[in-house]
Amino acid sequence: MASLTVDLALAGIAVGSAAALTGIGLIVTYRATGVLNLAHGAIAMVTAYLLRQLVVVWHWPTGAAAALCLLVVAPGIGVVLDLLVFRPLAARGAGTAETLVATLGVFVLLVGAAFLAWGGDARADVPSLVSARPVTLPGGLSVRLDTLVQFGAVAVVALAVAAVTRWTRIGDELRAVVDNRRLAVLRGIDADRVAAVGWAFGSFTAGLAGVLLAPYLRLDPYGLSLLVLETMAVAVGAGMRSLPAAVFTALVVGVAQSELTALHPTAAAQPLVQAVGANLFVVALLVSVFVLPRIGGVGAERAAAALTRGRRTTSPVGWAACAVVLLLPLGLRAMDLYAALQVPALAIVLLSIVVVTGYGGQISLGQAGYAGLGALFAAMLSSGTFFGLPPLDEFAALPLAVLLVAPLGLLTGWPAIRRRGLALALTTFALGVAVSRFVFAQPFFTSGLVLNRPRGLSGDRAFYVFELALLTAALLVVRNLHRGRLGRALAAMRDHEQGAAAAGVPVPRLKLFAFAVGAASAALGGALLGMAGRAFDPADFDPVRGLLWFAAVVVMGADSALGAVLAAGLLVGLDTGTHEGVSALVVGVLAVLLGRFPGGLVNTVLTRREERGAPRAGPLVAPDAVLTAEGRRVRDRVRSASGRGP
Amino acid sequence: MSVEIELRGARVRYGPLEALHGVDLAMPSGRLTVLLGRNGSGRSTALHALAGIVPLSGGRVLWRGEDVTGLDAFRRARRGLALVPEQRAVFGSLTVEEHFALVTGDVGGRTPAFEAFPALRGLLKRRVGTLSGGEQRMVAVSLALLSGAGVLLLDEPGQGLAPAAAARMHQVLAEQAADGGRTVVVAEQQLRGALRGAAVVHVLRRGSVAFTGEPAEPGFTRRTRW
Repeated sequence: MASLTVDLALAGIAVGSAAALTGIGLIVTYRATGVLNLAHGAIAMVTAYLLRQLVVVWHWPTGAAAALCLLVVAPGIGVVLDLLVFRPLAARGAGTAETLVATLGVFVLLVGAAFLAWGGDARADVPSLVSARPVTLPGGLSVRLDTLVQFGAVAVVALAVAAVTRWTRIGDELRAVVDNRRLAVLRGIDADRVAAVGWAFGSFTAGLAGVLLAPYLRLDPYGLSLLVLETMAVAVGAGMRSLPAAVFTALVVGVAQSELTALHPTAAAQPLVQAVGANLFVVALLVSVFVLPRIGGVGAERAAAALTRGRRTTSPVGWAACAVVLLLPLGLRAMDLYAALQVPALAIVLLSIVVVTGYGGQISLGQAGYAGLGALFAAMLSSGTFFGLPPLDEFAALPLAVLLVAPLGLLTGWPAIRRRGLALALTTFALGVAVSRFVFAQPFFTSGLVLNRPRGLSGDRAFYVFELALLTAALLVVRNLHRGRLGRALAAMRDHEQGAAAAGVPVPRLKLFAFAVGAASAALGGALLGMAGRAFDPADFDPVRGLLWFAAVVVMGADSALGAVLAAGLLVGLDTGTHEGVSALVVGVLAVLLGRFPGGLVNTVLTRREERGAPRAGPLVAPDAVLTAEGRRVRDRVRSASGRGP
Repeated sequence: MSVEIELRGARVRYGPLEALHGVDLAMPSGRLTVLLGRNGSGRSTALHALAGIVPLSGGRVLWRGEDVTGLDAFRRARRGLALVPEQRAVFGSLTVEEHFALVTGDVGGRTPAFEAFPALRGLLKRRVGTLSGGEQRMVAVSLALLSGAGVLLLDEPGQGLAPAAAARMHQVLAEQAADGGRTVVVAEQQLRGALRGAAVVHVLRRGSVAFTGEPAEPGFTRRTRW
């Protein structure tokens, strides 16, 4: 028994080491650049794919391939990202929300590129760098050589980082640059070089973690990326600060995960223990985000206000075009109409991001979880597996599912009361992943489900019309959220939380409200997505897909309902019209370039047109100001005065 | 008076707005220069352009006759130019002591800061983010004093200080120019206290130079009712 425990512990160290490397890389990049690199997992995935390509397909010697991947390609990716994406953002003084979206963009870009280059099939033949032959340590303990090497890699990397930060100036420079980049530059520090070093090192650790982990699992674009993303838990648990804490957490979670497989509890608890055991890093992530509400020690950040520009984000022409595009599929062939069924459903899901992030200013990366819950509850209700309820008609199951999910919005709404920016993004993401792993992946919830379309709407055409009606209703509801007293309160909360609170806006209640509305909208869209495909498919609501959705909405303009509908059309159209992965690639590229057109595509297009078409407004009046009669008189006076003046 | 550093025909744009419309501003070497002007007149932008943290859309920056327009801000800092910005002029997460360590290696080198601002002596171990606004100003200006830079650019150093402390601050800066032989450029709203001893006053109005000369010149008071 003792030997089994030891063996399991050693096996756990393998995963723990990779997690530790991820933790070190994330923390170093964060300390050097102030960016939590959500694309870390994707860099790991791409590096592993490349190694496989070189060795398996092109028959390179493993050593040379590994050297190229780890010493040239992986750090190179980091430097390129810094140069093209993050340096312009840093120079502009972009906030957390914008850099976060940029990392998301890189993430979906790399995932999309991997999809296009290598397809979505899982590969089980990634070469391992070190042989698994056992070696006997002094003391009689038999260890696999690869475990030893992994552990050694962590130790070397961690000690090297510690030495560099302690004994060279770069440690002080790092702290100065992260604290106040502009001032560091004014003190003679080359902030660009510091950031480039941080990115190169972070990407190197990502690549290392990728090639060390890949032989243990089947490699596919989503899986490894998400796994590495989950091991972000150790960096978050270490407060994005302490390397020893990150390494320790990683090894403990890795070993514990391994030991849990030997635990055989009673049959009733078995699925739960298994689920926890298989996803211990998700549990660790959840615990970390809830224990540490202020990650990185930075409290007051402007939330998502930077993602929006508070300008007009709608236009009659845009809506008319949108309506035409949405009505077009009714004339399509059956095959294409079936694919188009996803568009209105997805649009309703994306509207939830507009409400929560665009209007409310709360970054929510977990909306895919609510969409999935909506689909799952609808399926369970109509199949009669919902905790003893009899099977319900689909017409009843759909609204009931939405009503049941809405209060669950408090799951993310409650943490959001005290969290902002990065911390909130991580919390919502962790909850989304947890829902995916502990609900959607569990047979207890998903076995024996059937999900049909409502009676009388089983034909594609009828169902599409039904979806369009619901989308219109959702758009009207969302529109009302944007105007009047409520709309002003939401905008105030988004732009300046304390200011809004000081002006009498009930901020906590309003946040809960935004998240509840968001959850309901996501649930409705998710249920429709499920009904369109006549099944509950957990893969449709993968957390990675949620990241893609978020990026797509922000790219179009987070506070633009029109943009959400366009984003849905873009995502579905590109993937069904071309290859799967193209939409991710396009959204990724646009998100990465977001620094060039702040506020999103729709916003930029509308603003450009206004600037070109309309004559320059007077100095005191915003171009799109809606004035009262009195305001118009004042404007005329100002204009005539400035026309006469010098 | 030889010219230490100057803007020549400098234009700066922020998106669609132009903040400096081709200004000529020369700072005499080893003297105190004061930039005056109300909010939005371009004072800060002029300092930022000198320090290199905003790019020029036209014109040049000359430092002792050499064109440094394309030189990165950190390289200008290494050559001996120190800007104390109006906002976020300190590292909030570092202690006062760590700030001093950034610019001077030995403990004895801190003396000028304590002579200028005795209050800092008791705050060495405090994180600067926890200090009051006025104390943070003192730390920020100390950094420039200790840095050994020959050119000090200060954006509203008296802001947020009690009148007596602001007067003391201006006194310290005037002494840096008079006794230390440093080129000191101060941007302020008003010409008060020790700043009246400035060698040159530039008055900016809406991104252009409205007056350049000595404070005692007859045109000064007439042209500077802004």
